[in-house]
Amino acid sequence: MGELLAVRGVSKRFPNGTVALRDVDLTIARGSIHGLVGANGAGKSTLFKIIAGAHEPSAGELIWQGTTVDWSTPAAPRAAGVATMYQHIPLVPTLSVLENVFLGEMSGLFRRGRLMERYDALCERFGYRVDPNKSVGDLPIGERQMVAVAQALAAGATLICMDEPTASMASAEVELLFRAVNRLRESEGTSFVFCSHFLDQVLELTDEVSVLRDGRMVFTGATAELTEERLVDLMVGRKLSAMENARMEPVSPTAENVLEAINLRSPSGVDDVSITVRAGEVIGLAGMLGSGRSEILEAIFGADERCSGTVKVRGRNVGKRVDQRVKAGLALVPEDRNRQGLVGGWEIWRNTTLPDVQKLSKKRMLPDAEAEHARAGRAVADLKVRTPSVTTPVSALSGGNAQKVVFAKWMYGDACAYLLDEPTVGVDVGAKADILELVRGFARAGNAVVIVSSEFEELLAVAQRILVVRGGRIVAERNAQDTDEAELLALSSGLGANEGRTG
Amino acid sequence: MSTVKERLAPFRLQRAGVVYAFALILVVFTSAAAGTGRPFYLSALNSANILDQTAQVGILAVFMTICLISGNFDLSIGATGALAAGVTLTVLNSGLGVGVALLLGLLTGVAMGAFNGVFVQYVGVNAFIVTLGTMTGIRGLLFILTDGRSIQTTETGLADLLTGDWPVNLKVWAAVVGLVFVGVGVFSLRRERAGKVTDGQGYWYVIAGALLAAVSVIWFPTYWALSKQVWIFLVIVLVAWAVLKFTVVGRRLYAVGGNVEAARLSGIRVARYKVMPFVLNGLFAALVGILYASRFSAINPQALTGIELTVLAAAILGGTSLFGGAGNVLKSVIGALILFVLANGFGVLNLGANYQDLIKGVVIIGAATIYVLAEKRGGRRKLTAADVPAVTAPATPEKVTTS
Repeated sequence: MGELLAVRGVSKRFPNGTVALRDVDLTIARGSIHGLVGANGAGKSTLFKIIAGAHEPSAGELIWQGTTVDWSTPAAPRAAGVATMYQHIPLVPTLSVLENVFLGEMSGLFRRGRLMERYDALCERFGYRVDPNKSVGDLPIGERQMVAVAQALAAGATLICMDEPTASMASAEVELLFRAVNRLRESEGTSFVFCSHFLDQVLELTDEVSVLRDGRMVFTGATAELTEERLVDLMVGRKLSAMENARMEPVSPTAENVLEAINLRSPSGVDDVSITVRAGEVIGLAGMLGSGRSEILEAIFGADERCSGTVKVRGRNVGKRVDQRVKAGLALVPEDRNRQGLVGGWEIWRNTTLPDVQKLSKKRMLPDAEAEHARAGRAVADLKVRTPSVTTPVSALSGGNAQKVVFAKWMYGDACAYLLDEPTVGVDVGAKADILELVRGFARAGNAVVIVSSEFEELLAVAQRILVVRGGRIVAERNAQDTDEAELLALSSGLGANEGRTG
Repeated sequence: MSTVKERLAPFRLQRAGVVYAFALILVVFTSAAAGTGRPFYLSALNSANILDQTAQVGILAVFMTICLISGNFDLSIGATGALAAGVTLTVLNSGLGVGVALLLGLLTGVAMGAFNGVFVQYVGVNAFIVTLGTMTGIRGLLFILTDGRSIQTTETGLADLLTGDWPVNLKVWAAVVGLVFVGVGVFSLRRERAGKVTDGQGYWYVIAGALLAAVSVIWFPTYWALSKQVWIFLVIVLVAWAVLKFTVVGRRLYAVGGNVEAARLSGIRVARYKVMPFVLNGLFAALVGILYASRFSAINPQALTGIELTVLAAAILGGTSLFGGAGNVLKSVIGALILFVLANGFGVLNLGANYQDLIKGVVIIGAATIYVLAEKRGGRRKLTAADVPAVTAPATPEKVTTS
């Protein structure tokens, strides 16, 4: 087996200063299935995008079948025979399976008979046949994944990179996909890169595994020599950072219940979740992407109108609508700040006062620009927002500073229960430390906080209790002192056998 | 203290383009009239005339702008206006009196607007489609009501109430308005001196106010015969502008249009701000329909067909975004004025009415082009290091890795 694709010394530095990859090497042999694992934010997606030509590496080179290549557009790797499948499968849901498989060559006459023959041959090759006449929108997620594989094969791919293909698949579907992958590898020597949070699947499917941690490739080796424990250790590493040492003090057992959520369910997947948060307590929700952690926050906040269950603030029942929950003291810092948190063209001051504008108005009718500017000025100073003035539009701010403005919206009003969804995503290290300190400050002031983060390290640093979420349910509960990143990772990947709620 | 650049911001092409276009058109027509030996184009008579012609579309442009700001769209206003006029005249003919007739006419408009709003917001059908449907359907209601014929009335109550002039001494009142501007400017400058928040435009208020006062004392006529409809129009514009600019309601409306999800998650009751513009549109479309009918004491079932497109053109000329979150009722009104000055000017100067629509089309596309280009050129830019005051970044402890 020769080498098909080699990544040599690749680094990626984003314009906002985030370094996603540092000097990464990766070699994919012909006809091998290569696993790529790493904790959230380790750089897997960035590496994928570099291979797919969606990002240009800041340093290093890609070698395809022995020659150095410049893949700065997505078309180049595709032409060379690399197919990349992201988690959201890029198929056209309104077209039929057949049309989707041959989407790349849909020009000129649509010669159904000939395509049908090729489709059958294709299905023969990987041993699974999806009804070609069905429209893709009607297929279950597993079959869509199969269609995507078939599409990649039809385009002549010799390397197929799959990012979390099994994230929302049932186990039978996973079985099918794995069988097809193995068959293709054996019959025609197609290579695969398989990237997944599910470590058991990685161990089952792959020949070789590479582990990314904080943007560095820390391990590459044969899968046969690995165990789950070893893999988790490699992903987490032993980190002695300032953050980890600063764990939160446990809350006193007499503290009042600020926020209670009882039997929350939603069509978006929240399945009978109950959470109680006491004054001064920070609860971390640990879970993988798509585990339902964001949906739980949205259910508590009432952002998803279709959900059922009771929410109480300081013992009092709160209505279902978002505005009622905001009035009762709930505050949400959403995951996608540009789409859900900020009005892009508006200045910092108008964004800061958006939830509270009525309280800052004369006779509750006429907004008082004086008071609003004063509040925004205070927020900029308190949160160290780096901006020339409060009249700067938020669209001109960097990620971390924009995030601080979202925090500022809720800091000077009556909020007492904060729901924070990935508050540090896309934020540089300095701002990250500021934001985590802010979260601790919320708790010290006697508020309740529920925080979701992909970086379990952060949860351990700010939360007293950690709830592990999988499939929209809370599957385990740990005190932050009694657990570590490895255990949380294992629990949220579904590896841990000793689940259950402690304390 | 504001910088020169900030002080000049309101004069940038992107923000004041419609005003420049309006001024340019006025200058062209005025000099063309003078050059061909016709009477002064902007005479008291003709200017009052232009305002009178603009009033109805102007009122609709105000509420179309509000609807567009909220992120929606309404094509049904012409039909709603005609139906409301039909209802009003029918009630009037049945002898129930002007008050009842007006009330029922306006309520008809509110009902139609509420239907649009509820359907768009709660059922979730696209506003374009819903109002395209109601545009046709409401016209159909009018045909059923009138059996396809015009309705006339011999009652004079409506015409007495809504037609005729309320003349004004322009010299005096323009001077008063000018002085008010000077006063606002001085107030703003004093606040600025005291270090309070202002829009930084105090100087311009003073200059503009003083200029207006001086010009009015020297040149303006004493008799300006504004029609009642113009007064109604001016009051509506002022109130709508003030509500959008100075109140919580206005702030939230812009927030909902600018980013509906962020507004909702900030606790704003989004549905209200999505439905309300439709209801207002219905109400004021009804008013415009009644104003229209009062002129003729009659309504033809085809009346006001196509007016919604003129209204949209006015809003677009005024720089209103079709995607919500941005727009200014004053600029939309100037957009409406441009359209009617063009119509009026071509007529008065006898420039060949055949060219009129072509010119209007060119003006609309030209205006939109200028907005797009100005947006691109002066567009958003990220802050650079030079813009940001130096803050020493917290030292980041190097992580120790041992595996």
